[in-house]
Amino acid sequence: MKDQTTTQDLKDRLTLIENMISEGRRTTESWGWTFVLWGMAFYVALAWDSWGHSAWAWPITMTAAVVVTVVLVSIKTGGEAETTLGRAVGSVWLALGVSMFLLFPSLGIAGKLIDPHLFIAVASGMLGMANAASALILRWKVQFGCAVIWWAAAVAASFVTGNQAAVVFIIAIFICQIAFGVYGMIQEAGAKSRRGTAHA
Amino acid sequence: MPDLPELNPVIHGKLRLALLSLLAGIEEAEFTWLRNKTGSTDGNLGAQLARLEEAGYLRVKKKFVNRKPRTLYRMTDAGRQALTEYIQALKQILGTAIDT
Repeated sequence: MKDQTTTQDLKDRLTLIENMISEGRRTTESWGWTFVLWGMAFYVALAWDSWGHSAWAWPITMTAAVVVTVVLVSIKTGGEAETTLGRAVGSVWLALGVSMFLLFPSLGIAGKLIDPHLFIAVASGMLGMANAASALILRWKVQFGCAVIWWAAAVAASFVTGNQAAVVFIIAIFICQIAFGVYGMIQEAGAKSRRGTAHA
Repeated sequence: MPDLPELNPVIHGKLRLALLSLLAGIEEAEFTWLRNKTGSTDGNLGAQLARLEEAGYLRVKKKFVNRKPRTLYRMTDAGRQALTEYIQALKQILGTAIDT
């Protein structure tokens, strides 16, 4: 065999195996846009709630955001590969979504969501938990930074006035949803252009 | 001096080797994803995937998502074992040349 195939060719095959395995493991999903979308949805709901004083502001905006997310995900997930990491991270966010959609409407319908501190502290704490879990799975320090900011927002919202808590929430949304989402999209675009095509 | 091992001819083809290696790092992948990653043509890719399936190294699953057909490929335990043995054989043949 060694006579027929050069040593260099065999080495190339080992390199090909290494490259393809790491290429396969690299996450293929692009999720930066979902952070931006949900950040914008939070802002719309906050603005509608503050100025429109409508009890339907949050339920309608969040439901609309879910519909848009589901539609965009179903459009974007053509030609993908499923990885254990991708499924683990997706599960964290799905579990967060289900928890929030059960907890907050229930508290609202029961008339126990009248204190803005409670809503902001609980929502921030839950977002901090999801970001931290996702960051630990992906070993992504930037996202763990977002988790710390959400946790800080949760603690701060418990002690400051209602208006100050709203400001803290708005700042946390900007940093951890909008800015982080845009950063994620830039990273994904950079990774895509660097990757090119693996000729086999 | 011990005899050098034979390299599995089913895996030795470069595209088939790339496909098995790609699938080793994930759970399952679509045909289009494998095509994009390998830069192969539909015809060649289909033929090589069929050969790997015949050898029992891949399992194929077809399903419809939003009325569009999707073909998913997953590596079998036999495929993983064959790739592991291929890598071991490759390293044995290369011997000390591996680090040079």
